[in-house]
Amino acid sequence: MKEVSKLTLASDAPGRSLFMLGNEAIARGAIEAGVQVVAAYPGTPSSEINEALIGTVKDLGFYVEWLVNEKVAFEVAMGASMCGKRTMAMMKHVGVNVALDPLMSAAYMGAVGGLVLVDADDPGQWSSQTEQDNRYIAELGYIPVLEPSSPQEAKDMTADAFHLSEEFGHIFMVRTVTRISHARGDVRLGPINKENREGVFTRDHRFVCIPVWSRKNRILMLERFARVKEAADGLPYNQLRLVDGAKIGIIACGISHGYTLEALRWLELEDKVSLLKVGTPHPLPEKLVRQLLSSVPEVLVIEELEPFVENHVKVIAQEQGINVKIHGKDLVPIRLELSTRKASEAIAKLAGVRLPIDFAGLDKLSEEIAPLLPVRPPTLCAGCPHRASFYALNSATRKVKRDLGERIYTGDIGCYALGAYPPLNADDTAVCMGSGFGTANGIARAVKNPVIGHLGDSTFFHSGIAPMVNAVFNNTNITMLVLDNSATAMTGFQPHSGTGSTAMGAASPQLKPEDVARACGVKFAEVVDPFDVQKTIDTMQRAIRFEGPAVVITRRLCEIVEQRERRKRGEAVVPYGIDREECNDCLACIKLLGCPAIVLEEGKVVIEEAQCAGCGVCAWICPKDAIKKDAGEEYGNAV
Amino acid sequence: MRVRNMATPSKEVNIVICGVGGQGVVLMSELLGHAAVQDGLKILGSEVLGMAQRGGPVFSNIRIGSDVYAPLTPEGKGDLMVAVEPSEALRNITFLSKSSLVVLNTRKVIPYTVSSGESGYPSLEVIMARLNQAAKKVMVLDAAHLAEEAGHLQSTNVVMLGALFGTRQMPIQTETINRTIAERFSPKVADVNIRAFGLGYEAIRKTISCEECFKEGAMN
Repeated sequence: MKEVSKLTLASDAPGRSLFMLGNEAIARGAIEAGVQVVAAYPGTPSSEINEALIGTVKDLGFYVEWLVNEKVAFEVAMGASMCGKRTMAMMKHVGVNVALDPLMSAAYMGAVGGLVLVDADDPGQWSSQTEQDNRYIAELGYIPVLEPSSPQEAKDMTADAFHLSEEFGHIFMVRTVTRISHARGDVRLGPINKENREGVFTRDHRFVCIPVWSRKNRILMLERFARVKEAADGLPYNQLRLVDGAKIGIIACGISHGYTLEALRWLELEDKVSLLKVGTPHPLPEKLVRQLLSSVPEVLVIEELEPFVENHVKVIAQEQGINVKIHGKDLVPIRLELSTRKASEAIAKLAGVRLPIDFAGLDKLSEEIAPLLPVRPPTLCAGCPHRASFYALNSATRKVKRDLGERIYTGDIGCYALGAYPPLNADDTAVCMGSGFGTANGIARAVKNPVIGHLGDSTFFHSGIAPMVNAVFNNTNITMLVLDNSATAMTGFQPHSGTGSTAMGAASPQLKPEDVARACGVKFAEVVDPFDVQKTIDTMQRAIRFEGPAVVITRRLCEIVEQRERRKRGEAVVPYGIDREECNDCLACIKLLGCPAIVLEEGKVVIEEAQCAGCGVCAWICPKDAIKKDAGEEYGNAV
Repeated sequence: MRVRNMATPSKEVNIVICGVGGQGVVLMSELLGHAAVQDGLKILGSEVLGMAQRGGPVFSNIRIGSDVYAPLTPEGKGDLMVAVEPSEALRNITFLSKSSLVVLNTRKVIPYTVSSGESGYPSLEVIMARLNQAAKKVMVLDAAHLAEEAGHLQSTNVVMLGALFGTRQMPIQTETINRTIAERFSPKVADVNIRAFGLGYEAIRKTISCEECFKEGAMN
C-alpha cells in the first residue's frame, strides 16, 4: 500500500494506476512517448500540463521551457522537431491564435521528430474571451486531431500522437477541453520510452517556406494528409457498435461520448441505438461513418460547440448518395458545455421517449433559487497591488477629467481583468493578450479623451512591447500602465522573462519593463510602488498629462507570492482594524476598494483579521482615519 | 474497521463539493481521488479552475463506480453534497434528489456585493428549508469552529471531509482517507488535519445518533 502512494508521474510502472488530473495525464502521455523538448505559455485550461512535466524533469532529464508567448513556444517545438527530437507545445485555444502563423506552415513542412500541439479549448468560457472551436483551425492547417473522452484517453492519445506524427511525418494535434483537462480520474500507466535521441539538423528545402519550395510542400502535405485519412478508420479511438434493427445511429465525439453512454443507459436505449465513438474528428474515420449512415434512417451527431463533425458527416452522406436524415445542432446546443442531461434531451426527443428526471421541475427550482443567491464575482485578493493601482488610476483620471475629459481604460488578460467589476470598473475594453496597449493606440486616433491602457508584466513581454513601440513610432498620445506584480499570477505563478529564473530553475536576466520602454524610445517611463498611493496618483496624473506615449510601471510583488515569502521569513501579517470611536460607517472603504477583507456586519464596517493582508490602502483612503494598523481586538475585529 | 470488498461497486456514488475560491475545495477532491485509487475504486470527476477561482463559486465533483463515463455528475444525481459555504449548497441545489444527503458548514463567506448592498444573502433558515425540501437529509456543523479547535482555520475543508465520511455512505475506507491525509502534508499540518477530520466525523456521527435516539424515544 505504501508503495502505491509513492507512485508519481515519473514512475516507470506499466499497468499501475495513478489518480491524476486530465492535464497530468497529457503530461504522462508525453513522458511515455519519450518527449525531449517541451514548450508552453501558460493559459487556462492548459497550464498544468507543463507544471506536471516540470515536476518530473529532475527524474527524466528532458528539456522544458516556459516561453515568452505561444508563437515562440510553437516555434521552439517546431525547430527541435526539425532536428529529429520528439517535441510538444501546449497552449489554450486563444493561444493557438497567437501561434497561428508558424502553425500553418508546420503542416506544409512536415515533422521529422514527433511534433505534437496540445490545444486546450474552453467550452463554457470558464476563463476565456471566446468559445472558439479549434478543430476548425486544425482543418485550416491540414492538422490531424486526436480528441480524448477521458483522462485515460488523454494519456494514451498524447503518447500515440508522437508515434503517429513520426509514422506520417506530420504534425498532430491533441485537442482537449476544460472538462477533460480539469477532470480527475485513475489512469493506467504504460511503459516509458527512454530512448534519448541526439538532435541532428539536416538541411532541406522543405524548411525554407519561400513560394518555389512551399508549393512543393503543399503537394506533399496533401499526400500525407490523405494517408492519415486512410489510416483513421483503423485507430483504436474510433469504435463502431452496430445494433441490429436500430432506427437511430449516434456519432459522439470526444467528451460527448461519456455523456452519450450515460444518457443511453438512463433512457434504456443501449440495445436500440447504434453508436460510433469518434476520437479523430479530423480526419473522420470515413468508412465507419459510411457504415453507420447506411445502417439507419436517422443519425444524431453529439458534439460540443460547433457542428464540425456534423458538417463533415453531411458531406460524406452527400458524396456517397446515402439517404439518411442527419441531426446535430438542431437538437444539441451549440453554446456552453454539454452534459448527460443535454445529451439525454436530444436523444429522447429524436427517439420519442420520456426523460427519467423531471428537468423542467429542476429548471423551475433554479429560477426560484436564483434571486436568493448572493452575487459572487471573482475578486482581486485582499492585499492585491492591482487594487491599489486601480484606485490610484481612478483618482488620477477624476483629477484630470475637467481638463482632458472622461477617461477610457483599455484592459487586458490577467488577474487585473477582475478589476472590471465594480467598484473599481477598471476596464472599458478587454480583448486579448497585449490589446490593452494595442486598442489604446486605435482609440486615441478616434477620440480626444485620455486613453489609459493597462496590462501585467507577463503580458507585457508576451505582446505588450509591439504596441508600445508602435505608440513611439507614431507618437500616439496614450498612457500605458504595466501592473508589475512580478508573477504570472492568474495561471499559477509561472516564471517569465521578468522574474529572473527559467522553468528548469536556472537563473536568467531579469528584464525590466522600464528598461525596455526607455530602450524603445519612451520618454516618460516611471516606476512607482502602488501602496504609496499618493505618489502613484501623482505619477499617473503626470503621465496622462504628458504629450506623447507615457509608461508607468506600478511594481509590487503579488500578494500570494508575498504571503509565501513572508511565511519563509517567519513573519506574520499585522492586520488593520476599525477604530469604532472614529468610524462613522460611511462605507468609503467598501465602496471605493471592494476588498474582500472588509465586510459589513449588521450595518457596521468590520475588517476580517484572517483575510487582511496588511497593505494599508484602506487606511490611506479612510476620510475619518478610523482604520488603524495592529488595532487588534481592542477595536472589535472579527476573526 | 470493517473489511470491505476491494472490487469497484457497480452502483455509482456521486459526490458534489461546493464552496468559494480559497476554501480548499479542489484539495478535497484530490484527497478523495488518491484514497479511492488506493482502495481500488474506479473514479472520475472534474472541477473548474482559473477565472472561477479568487473568491468566486467553486464546484467540484467526484464520481465513484465502474459504470461512470462522464466527469460531470448529472443534475438530480448527486448522492452526497459537501457544502463548505452554506449559500453555495443552494447554488448547486439542482444536483440533489430526495435520496441525497447534505453536510453543510454553517460559516458564511460574505462577498463584496453583499457588503455594498448590491446583493442579498439568504438566512440559514431559508437555506435549510430549501435544502430539506430537495434532499433526504441535511446535516449541519460549524466546521470553521471545529477547524480552529483542531489547530487552524484553514483545515475547515478537512473537517468537512470528516463530516462526509461521518455519513458512513462513502465507498472509501476511513482508514485510507486518514492515511492519504497523513501522507499528503508535512507532519505538523497532517496532525492538525487528522484532528480536523476526526472532529468533522464525530460531529456528524453525533447528529445522526442523537436523531436516532430521538426517533427511538418517540416510537416508545
